[in-house]
Parts: sequence; structure tokens; C-alpha cells
Amino acid sequence: MKRTTFLLSVVLALSMLLAACQPAPTPAPAATEAPTAAPTAAPTPSAAEIAGSLPRNETMYFNGEQWNPVVCWNPYASNCNNAMTIAQQDSARVTMFETPYVYNMLDGKVYPLLADGPFAWDAGLTKITFKLKATAHWSDGTPVTAEDVAYTWATHLKYNDATGASNKDYIADIVATDALTVVVKAKLDSATGKALNPLVVAAYLSSNYVNQKAWTQTLEARAGGDATKFLADKAEDVVYSGPYHYFYVDDTKVVLIRDDNYWGKDASMFGKLPTPKYLAHTIFKDNAAGSVALAQGEVDVSQQFNSNIQVLWVNYALPVSTYLPAAPYGIGASLPTAFYNPNSYGLDQPAVRKAIAMAVDYPTIIANAMTNQSATFDQVPRSLMNPTPGEQALYDHAAVASLQWAGNDIAGAMALLDAAGITDTNGDGWREYNGQTLHYVATCPNGWSDWQAAIEVVAAAGKKIGIDITSNYPEWGVYQTVVTSWKALSTTQGYDIFMMWSDGAGPTQPWSRIRHLLSSEFAKTETNWNGNWSGYANPDADKLIKEIPTLTDPAKIKAAYTELVRIYLTDVPSFTLMYRPQAFHAVNESVWTGFPHQDDGSKPPIPPLDCIDGWSIACLYNVHLVTP
Amino acid sequence: MKGYREYFLNKLLWFLVTFVCAFILNFILPRLMPGDPVAGIVSHIAQGMTNTTGVQAIYQQYADLFGTNRPIIEQFFIYMRNVFHGDFGFSFSQYPRTVAETLKSAIWWTIGLQFPAIIVGWLIGNVLGALAAYLKKGFDNLLMPISIFLSNFPTFGMAIILLVIFGVGLKWFPTSGGYGFDLIPTFTWKFIWTVITHYQMPFWSIVLIAIGGQAIGMRSMSIYELNADYVKYSRFLGIKDRKIVGYVFRNAMLPQVTGLALSIGTMVGGALVAEIIFSYPGLGTTLLHGILGQDYPLISASSLIITMMVLVSMFLIEILYGVIDPRIKAAQSE
Repeated sequence: MKRTTFLLSVVLALSMLLAACQPAPTPAPAATEAPTAAPTAAPTPSAAEIAGSLPRNETMYFNGEQWNPVVCWNPYASNCNNAMTIAQQDSARVTMFETPYVYNMLDGKVYPLLADGPFAWDAGLTKITFKLKATAHWSDGTPVTAEDVAYTWATHLKYNDATGASNKDYIADIVATDALTVVVKAKLDSATGKALNPLVVAAYLSSNYVNQKAWTQTLEARAGGDATKFLADKAEDVVYSGPYHYFYVDDTKVVLIRDDNYWGKDASMFGKLPTPKYLAHTIFKDNAAGSVALAQGEVDVSQQFNSNIQVLWVNYALPVSTYLPAAPYGIGASLPTAFYNPNSYGLDQPAVRKAIAMAVDYPTIIANAMTNQSATFDQVPRSLMNPTPGEQALYDHAAVASLQWAGNDIAGAMALLDAAGITDTNGDGWREYNGQTLHYVATCPNGWSDWQAAIEVVAAAGKKIGIDITSNYPEWGVYQTVVTSWKALSTTQGYDIFMMWSDGAGPTQPWSRIRHLLSSEFAKTETNWNGNWSGYANPDADKLIKEIPTLTDPAKIKAAYTELVRIYLTDVPSFTLMYRPQAFHAVNESVWTGFPHQDDGSKPPIPPLDCIDGWSIACLYNVHLVTP
Repeated sequence: MKGYREYFLNKLLWFLVTFVCAFILNFILPRLMPGDPVAGIVSHIAQGMTNTTGVQAIYQQYADLFGTNRPIIEQFFIYMRNVFHGDFGFSFSQYPRTVAETLKSAIWWTIGLQFPAIIVGWLIGNVLGALAAYLKKGFDNLLMPISIFLSNFPTFGMAIILLVIFGVGLKWFPTSGGYGFDLIPTFTWKFIWTVITHYQMPFWSIVLIAIGGQAIGMRSMSIYELNADYVKYSRFLGIKDRKIVGYVFRNAMLPQVTGLALSIGTMVGGALVAEIIFSYPGLGTTLLHGILGQDYPLISASSLIITMMVLVSMFLIEILYGVIDPRIKAAQSE
């Protein structure tokens, strides 16, 4: 027995020693790398054919998108967990599947991808017409046609998938009038005869993929008309139109390979192929492991929260950078928000809600929770808009300046409470409303460290103004069940103050974000994943939210948004705690360079969305090797 | 032989009863967790959806698909029927992947890491513990503090220390993954070598902790046995020391063997800490995500596998005990 143990120990120790003597797995020095071969139309090699190794100078590595193994390649399914290829959203992911247009969050415009030229509304605002590029084709070589666009929509409706369920209230039909011309017919307002919501109808074109009709029919035949089977199909035979496709997946990584026959190399689109031949995403188990890999050069593009990202270039002089060279390092797009539960005693009082919000130390939240990767409320005063210039221009700053607060205003908050008669009448140090002490529990999911840091600051703010706020961190499984159910929020188990997200940047923003924060259509509902978890209802706000999508006069739009900001900052049904980027975007330029940075001269500007979302796909055509 | 058959049948009966109870608990306990798994799935799909009716329709689809809106007794009988046909159903958290596919893709990483680590830690720890008891003095004085230190060291602490020193600082070993970040699995020396290098830190982070605990246990048992009457009597009889030591360690080994069986039985639960710190693939994080996402089928299947492995290994150990130590069989058969 002893001998066996000894031998085993020696073997293991030797293997450890031998392994230690092996060169460290650092990225190959750029100077020794061969120049990237010019893209050709050579047949795609299989994983086995490349002898198990991805050439570093042809592969761009990502992190932060994919946290679990890929389970399918079906563009109709919503849960393929295929983060490198499927994300039908405001800035849709267009690596494998493509949308007619792509959204650019920096200038708020959409640019044609499969489409040929801009889309046009008819004079009566009832339908959109656009053309497809004649050069666009599928991976099997057949052209992308208007019939594909129409059939994709019909399929969404037929199987009532997430896209169909989400848009059928606004889109009446999508039809092909010839091989390349598509007409999107809007559902009309019976009173005005115009589109019920032109914003949502137009956004469909940059948020949802076009799928091949022939392949869709193959899938339907395979599913035998069963919607469940149709949406659960792994679709490994899917036909696509984008520049990359499936190469290799397992529990540790996802690798896409460039399709050298991609139609986008035509002069009508990009005029060349994207530079990296492979897009690889390592599946890390947490942010810490991903950050170490970024620092070590095993990741080129990082879409995860890297705490104190500046340390990598300030302290370690690594070639790591972010979109902006200094704090906040990125462009804030969404507004993580604290919601009040009006069922909790005293939180139906605007004075209490506003006082707590005024007392919160936002600079500490931004420093602790976001390690300064968020603009402060001094830099971007609070409203309902994200910090992008396009949204900031949509409201009259001066008109609401007196209502805005940047935080830490303890004296102001206390004065507000005193004026409302909410004082400490029994001398126990806590304020009472109608004789009852104000005590709240601020809640967010356990393990969401940035949110937890923010909640702690909210709790501390309460104590400073005489309102007892403690914190509680249930698991996400429990948290989401309570937050999305008005019935649960109305019970004693309902959370008093809790955090949820808001919309980011997109073609329907800021309207959609405001709708999700203030519209009464979501108030007091069950299975509420849309928003307005405070159950806020204000007819004036509802009227404006309904009106804005139909407005075309910029002055009227600005006036409407300004009024909504005024309502929000007055009633404070919820309040923004920080600005968060649409996607974190840090790059290590050891191997690849030419990533988007502020003022990099790209026209139109390429947004910091990891080179795969919306117009940021243009980044893949700009990047080049540090040492060719 | 008749006594042994009674002993065997008695054990088998009790293990069957335990299995039935465990099977029922495996089904019920995950479903007693507060929260709604379908709401969690819908949360991913609903982001970006523009209307309430759409979200509710999606919720209903998934509730129907997973059967979470049926009475729990009906769910139990469906589950039981499917399990006896070898079908654990769809994983909620990785739908449309089945539970079988989810487990299959991760379990080999877990067994590959856990089984050798458990065996090596057990062997080294027991040998060191036995030597400390036998040699005493200097060796014991050195080994004991080290063993106490190692056995009480938090697993995550050990993993982070190894990561910082050997991964980030010395760069001897890669910091994350199961194989080279720039490789595709193929049967080549390059690939195999990266598997070995990536294996080292997760492996040693488990083994080092295990060694300490095993050594302390074995040392205590050995000291107890070395002072037993039969040892003194054997010495009076003039039996050789080498022979006596053999008996001593055979007796001292019994509780350690039980511990080994339990460790092997529960190993498919995964080495969660090592998996997280080193981003090593395996069942630990899969199961953690399943629990956090209330993935009932995945939790039930994983815990059923663990239950069965523990029961089978304990059953085998009990049967083996009957052979190793006739006193146990005799006592149990009375």
C-alpha cells in the first residue's frame, strides 16, 4: 500500500514539476506571428482539420457574453443561450443572423444591412416600405428575398414566439410586393387611421432577424407542426446570412468561423470580409476569472464588469483600454433603478420617496458598485434619459433643473420631510408618519454585488434622515417571483424598496424606457417583466406616453419628454441609482488593435458594443493585427 | 454462510427502503423552495418585449411545457414514470437541452478531477497519519500542525493561494479552463499536455485539503489501536512488530474506508470551489446554476445520482465490512 502511494505521489509530483517547466501559456508574441492571410473563398475547414489549434493571429477572443454552454442555434427560439450569435434586441447581434437594418446607439440612427437604402413610411403613416440588397445571399448561396422577410414574420405569428407575441399588437402584416421589396403594414389607431405605434413597427426592422423561408419550412416539417418541437429544435442545420457561423462548442468555449462566401464583402456593403477568421468565446465561471484572462491577453474583447479596469493600464501598464480613456470609461445606456412599493406604509407619500432618493450618496454607489464606470449625477443630471447626447437633447434641462438632485442632500431631504409633517414625535430617533415609525427593507438579489453595494448605500441614506432602512438579499429565484407579482408585492412579504433594471439604448428609446418606468398598463399586473414595478398610475403620463410615438414635430416631442421628466422627478415612483453601459467594453490590444474608441475618426461612429451588436459589427472590419 | 446471507438481505432491504425515501425527497425538496422557475426563464425571454399579454403568453407556454402548473402529485407520477424509463426530462435552466445531455457534458470533467483527487488525498493522508502515529516524535510533531492547518484551511482560500502564486505570480500553470484557451480538443500531445497543466491547480487544491483531514483521522485511530489490549498481548506473545502493525492499520482503516466511500459517493456533486476559482468545467457549477434557477429536473436527477452512488458505495462497504471484520456481521445478524 505504501509503495503504491509513494509511486502515485512521485508520478503526480513529477507531472506537476514537468508542467511547471513548460512555458507559461501566454499569448504568442505578436512579432513572431505570420501575417494574416488574405481572406479567400476557400472551403471552411473542420475543427479536426486545423489540428486542434486556433491560430492566435486569426482569432479574436471574447468574454462576458456566454456564461453557460450553447444549447441550440435556432433563431426562432429565445433560450438557445447562444450569446455569440442570437440576440434579437435593440442593437441586434449580427454575427450569424442578420436584420434588415442595424442600430447605432451613438447617433441614434439605423443603417441598412440586408436592406438597400433607408426605409420609408407612407404619407398616411400606415406602412413602411424598404428594399433588400440584390447581392445579399444565404449561406447556401440562394438570394435573400422579400418572401424570406414575410415568411419569417408569418412564422413568428404562427408559433407565437417571443417576437410574434411582442409585436403582433403593432404589426398587422409583412408582405413581399416583389422579390426585393418588403411592406410592413402597421396596426392602425381606429381614431386617427395612423399606425398605433410607429416606433415599435420601425424598431422591428433593426431588432429581428430575417430567416430563410426554405430552411424554416424544413424546420416546420421536422417539427410536424408542433410549436413546442419547432421552438425546441436545435437547428444545427440552420441557414444563415451573416459573416460567421458554428465551428466548435463545448462546455468551455464557443468558436465561430468566418464564412468566406459572405455576401457582405460586396462593395454594396462592407467591401471586404471581417478581419478575424475565428471568433472564440471562453466560458468563464465568474468575472474574476474573466478579468485575469483579459489581463493575461487570453481575451481581446471583454463584455463583463472588470472591477477597477483602469488598474490594468495605470498600475500594470498593460495594453488594455476602454471606449473612454478615463472615468466613466464607457457610454452609459441603462438606468438601474430603485423602485418603491406604495403598499408599504408611508411609501405612498411622495415626500418620503423623494427624501430617501435625495439623501442617497450616489458618488459612493458609483465608486463602490461601479468602480467609477458610470457617469455621476453631477455630470449627467437625473431625468429619464440615458447619458447619450441624442437622449440628453430630448428634454429641456433648464425646465426641470429645480427638481433634479445629485445626492447626499441630507439637509434638503430632512427639510422636505419636516415640511410634510413627517417627524420624530416620540424621540426614538426614527420619523413617524401618522404615528407609525417608518421602517423599510431595501432588497436586491443575493450575489449581484454591484446592486448589493447600491442597496447598502440606500439603507445608509435612510438612517441619516431618520428613516430606518435595513437590507435583505434573497436568492434571485425568490426575488423575481415577488417583484414580478403585484399580489406578492401587496402582501407583508412584499419588498419595500427594491432594484430592477430599465431599458438601454435603442431605436424606440427613450420612449420605451419611459413607458416601462411610468405607464399604468404595467401597473399592478402579474407576470410583470415589463416594468413600472411601483404600480405607478398617472393619466397625464399615460397620455404623453401614448402620444409620443405618433409625434413628428421635434419641438412637441421635446415638450412631451420634458413634461414626463417633470412628472417623474416630482412623484418619484422610482429613482435611478447609476448609469450602466449597454455593454461593458474593454479591449486588450496585445494582438488586435483598431477597436472603437471615442473620437477614433470612424464615420459613422462605431459604438462600444463588443464588435458584434448592431452597427458595432463594423469594428470587425476595422481591426488589424498589432504586428502584421 | 447462512449468517452472511441474512446479513446481506437485511442490508439490501434497508438500502431499498432508504432509496424509496430518498427518491420521494429528491422530488419533493427542490419543489419546496420558494420561487417560480418559469418566471426565471421568462425573465430572460421577456426583456425587450413590449406588451404584457405577450409576456403572459410566453409564461403560459413554459408553464404548460414543464408541467409546473399541474398538481404536484400528478407531477410526481409523471416524474416517476419518466425516470423509470431513463428520462429525466428537459433541464429548465438549459432548455431545450435534456437533463441527460446536461449531465453527460459535465460529469466526465467532475469524475476526472474528483476521483483521483479523493483517492490520492485519501492514500497520502492515511499513510502520513499512520506514520505519524507509529513513528511519533519529530515526524508527528511536524505532521500534526501541518495537517491541522491544511484540514482547517477553507477550500476557496487554498484555491486562491495556488492561483495567485502558481498561476498569476510564477505563471507555472494556466489560471482557468480545462484545456488551452486556443485549442480545440483533438487527440494530440499538445492538447493532452494542456489538459494536464490545467488539471494541476484544481487537483492540488482538493488534495492538499483532503490530506490534512485524512492524516488527522488516521493518526487518532492508529494511536487508539496501538494502545489496544490485543496489541499489548501480541507483543507479550512475541509476535513480530511488522505483523502487529498490519493488524493495527487494518482496524484503524475501517472508519477511513467509510469516509472514502462517502466521498466517492458524493463526488458527482462536483468540486464547486475549484470549478469556480479555476473556471474548470464540471457538474458543481452546473448544479449550482440549477439550484439557483430552480431547475427541478436537474436538481432531482443530480441528487438521485448522488443518492444512488452513496447507497451503492455504502452497501458495498457494508458487505465488505462483513468480510473484513466478522464482528460486524455477527453483531448485525443477531
